[in-house]
Parts: sequence; structure tokens; C-alpha cells
Amino acid sequence: METTRDFPRSIDALDGLFSFLGDQLPGAVAEKAAVYLNLAAEEIFTNMVRHNEPGGERITVAVELDGDRIRVRLTDYDVEPFDPTTAPEVDVTRPMAERQPGGLGLHLVKSIVDRLSYEYRDRTMQVTFIKKLERTDVRDQA
Amino acid sequence: MFEIKPDGEGRLLLIGRFDAAQAEKAMAAFYALEGQVALDCKQLKYVSSSGLGVLFETQRRLGEAGGGLKLVNLSPHLRELFTIAGFDRIIDIE
Repeated sequence: METTRDFPRSIDALDGLFSFLGDQLPGAVAEKAAVYLNLAAEEIFTNMVRHNEPGGERITVAVELDGDRIRVRLTDYDVEPFDPTTAPEVDVTRPMAERQPGGLGLHLVKSIVDRLSYEYRDRTMQVTFIKKLERTDVRDQA
Repeated sequence: MFEIKPDGEGRLLLIGRFDAAQAEKAMAAFYALEGQVALDCKQLKYVSSSGLGVLFETQRRLGEAGGGLKLVNLSPHLRELFTIAGFDRIIDIE
């Protein structure tokens, strides 16, 4: 079953977003999986808030559990198209002097999720990711 | 919540969640750092690209003056995240 909530189109909505995602998680999910879930959601959410123009007042987040996987879909309204799945790759092997600040968030997302997809229709953008949720192991409980 | 405070042993403790909302608020504290700075991350629960960006700019500024950051006690999954970001190449991680 999919659970949906609207969030204000603001960086200050992150605490609410994290609480919402945490509420959807089953018990005994490893801390790493929870951290990476929040991270992927934050990076996509903040990219929408900061870069999508002009943007409406809300971003909708929908979450669905499917076995040991979680699917998160973020919807941004009244925006220009931007496909994060085809955004230029960041070369994280470059020395400090040659590195640029932009693009790191999407690099992290692409590195930690199992699937990332994008749809754009009627000035509405949807970015969906799927993440496998590792269960707590003995080391996490220590 | 995100806090930075001295640990009494010459290091600074990073505590909580270093996300986009907190990174903007933490800028001033990081801008005030000088020289060689050890950051104890044992209570750091989370960091996103916004937090990493603050660390990156701090490392760049300190490095230009001959100093730098050293991170200690990162959790295994945050350490993995720093590696994915390539930060293990530009910041001293112990």
C-alpha cells in the first residue's frame, strides 16, 4: 500500500520528511539502510527546492514497501524538466583544486539506490528511487 | 539537530544530523575554524551533500593556509559515504 504526504517546498521541511520516511520503515532495518534512504530522499528533495523553476508550493512524497525494498516517489509541480538520471557525472577522483561543488548529491543518490527513474508530463516532474532495505545484523545491535 | 562543540581533548565533536537545513546554520561555526582541526564524528548520525559541501569548503580554506581537517571515529556507513564522495582523497580520515 502506498502512503503519500505533501511537504512545503522548503529546506526546512526536511525534518518532517525524515520523520515520515522513518514511520514507513519496518522494524529491524539496519541503520545504514535508514541513513541511505533518508539521504537519497533529501538529495532529490533539496534539488527540487533549489533548482526546479518556478515550482509550486508543495512536493508530494509517496512511499511503498515491497518485501525487502522500498520505493519512494517525489513529485514536483509546475516546473521545467530536469532529468537527474542523465545529469553529468561528477569525477570524485579529481584533486581538490579541480573539483566543483555541484553534482555531488546526485552522484551519491546514483551510488546508493538500486534504481532511479524520471518522468515529466504536464509540467510535473516525478523522480522515483528503489532501495533495498538491509535488516539489522548482530553488529548493528552491538 | 546538529551541534558542534569541543570535546575537552582538543577535538570538536560533531553531533546529530548534518543535513541541508543544518548545513546553512553551521556555516559560521566552520568558517571560524583555523589551523589543524580534528573533528570527532562518533556522534555524527547523518551527513548529506550539503554537509559534505561545508566540510569541502572548510578543508579547501584551511588547506590554503597550511592547515586542514582530520575526521576521526566515523561510523562504517558514513565512512563508506565519504569514500563514495571521494572525500577520502581530500580529507584526512582516521
